[in-house]
Amino acid sequence: METSVYLQPGYILQHRPYRESSLIIEVLTRDFGKISILAKGVRKPKSKVAALLRPFTLLSLSYLGRSELRTLTQVELVQTSPPLPGLALYCGFYINELTGHFLHKYDPHPEVFQLYQACLVQLSENSAIEPVLRNFELNLLDNVGYGLSLAFDEQHRRPVSTAKKYIFSADSGPVEALNGTVAGQTLLALHTRTLIGSETLAGAKKLMREVIDFHLQGKPLKSRAVIAKIAASLQSKDTPREVVGTDDLA
Amino acid sequence: MHGKDLLGQLIQDLCCLPGVGPKSAQRMAYYLLQRNRQGARQLANTLLSASQTIGYCEQCQTLSEQKLCRICSDTSRDQAVICIVESPGDVWAVDQAGAFKGIYFVLHGHLSPLDGIGPDELGLDKLTQKLIAGTVDELILATNSTVEGEATAHLIAELARKYKVHASRIAHGVPMGGELEYIDSGTLAHAFNGRKEI
Ligand SMILES: [Zn+2]
Repeated sequence: METSVYLQPGYILQHRPYRESSLIIEVLTRDFGKISILAKGVRKPKSKVAALLRPFTLLSLSYLGRSELRTLTQVELVQTSPPLPGLALYCGFYINELTGHFLHKYDPHPEVFQLYQACLVQLSENSAIEPVLRNFELNLLDNVGYGLSLAFDEQHRRPVSTAKKYIFSADSGPVEALNGTVAGQTLLALHTRTLIGSETLAGAKKLMREVIDFHLQGKPLKSRAVIAKIAASLQSKDTPREVVGTDDLA
Repeated sequence: MHGKDLLGQLIQDLCCLPGVGPKSAQRMAYYLLQRNRQGARQLANTLLSASQTIGYCEQCQTLSEQKLCRICSDTSRDQAVICIVESPGDVWAVDQAGAFKGIYFVLHGHLSPLDGIGPDELGLDKLTQKLIAGTVDELILATNSTVEGEATAHLIAELARKYKVHASRIAHGVPMGGELEYIDSGTLAHAFNGRKEI
């Protein structure tokens, strides 16, 4: 295992205070996957490093050590990322939590790094947040070995049809059924990453929620609950949810 | 070296203070017991009554021993302008600066979705009630310039917009007397994002 790493590109997924003046950051690195790094003394008033250690910003990190917890030696800002606008910012926290949950420490996933980076760019420029979130969820699952079978009904040995209804389970995929709750159209839109229309988006959100919860085995996604609360607090009584566009997206 | 005796306990308890490790806790304990027993007794009494009687201001949530804190009950201050801060320490800092004559609202934290800290945990329902009541003309958002602080400011600004109350964010960036070449790139980037017309 490496002992010192220089100028590794990475994004901070989460940070928490450590002792009096330090910080432990969980970082998604390009080449080494998710790692924990101790940033010593950065919570002191005069520290210049603290201002750099921001989530959603591409950093270049140098660190030492072999233990579970590496020690930060240097950090630079690679580029100032465009700020995530309001709602997208809350969703950025969700993306961070999801990524943190599905990656094991020190398990390299350069593709996930690329996906994450692309997702941030899309969140910063795209007004349609939901498709961006669903695509990220799907691609993340693909990359960590939980890829979904969406387009083929194994039990009946035929492709999924837009007109039919299905029962979907994370491990066995879609099964055509008259009392199915998932529209074939939703499955195919997820499969081709072309989610449009409020009905399809709502169906896709429900399905992905179930799949993600299945894999998390009871671990709660805290940011999901917080985003729902935020959405509710901004909801106005006389405006329909769809128009406000702040329905709980995650 | 000090087992479970009272002196050992005292040293251990002093370690709960920020910036105090076992070494300095030991120095404090010896000082109080050897040279300043009167001070020790007074400190103990004050700590006890402070921890029992200081609560939170009903209006702004800052630390206060009265129902309404000194600032909220000061009739010379503009009750229609509210400055939103993360901690009681921030109230002190902003008030020291002397540029603000309104009242405060203390969140006791910031939005932190990964820790499950959302609008309810920050007392935003209470703030919303004030906005609904129509007694507020302006909100000044003085949360920290961290991503979480900004997310918090954004959320409150959206709430203000919903209830048609004017909201502004304090400026962050280049410190007074700061030379650009010595400022870290994060702060500088922030200063650029928050630039304004002159
Ligand atoms: Zn008060």
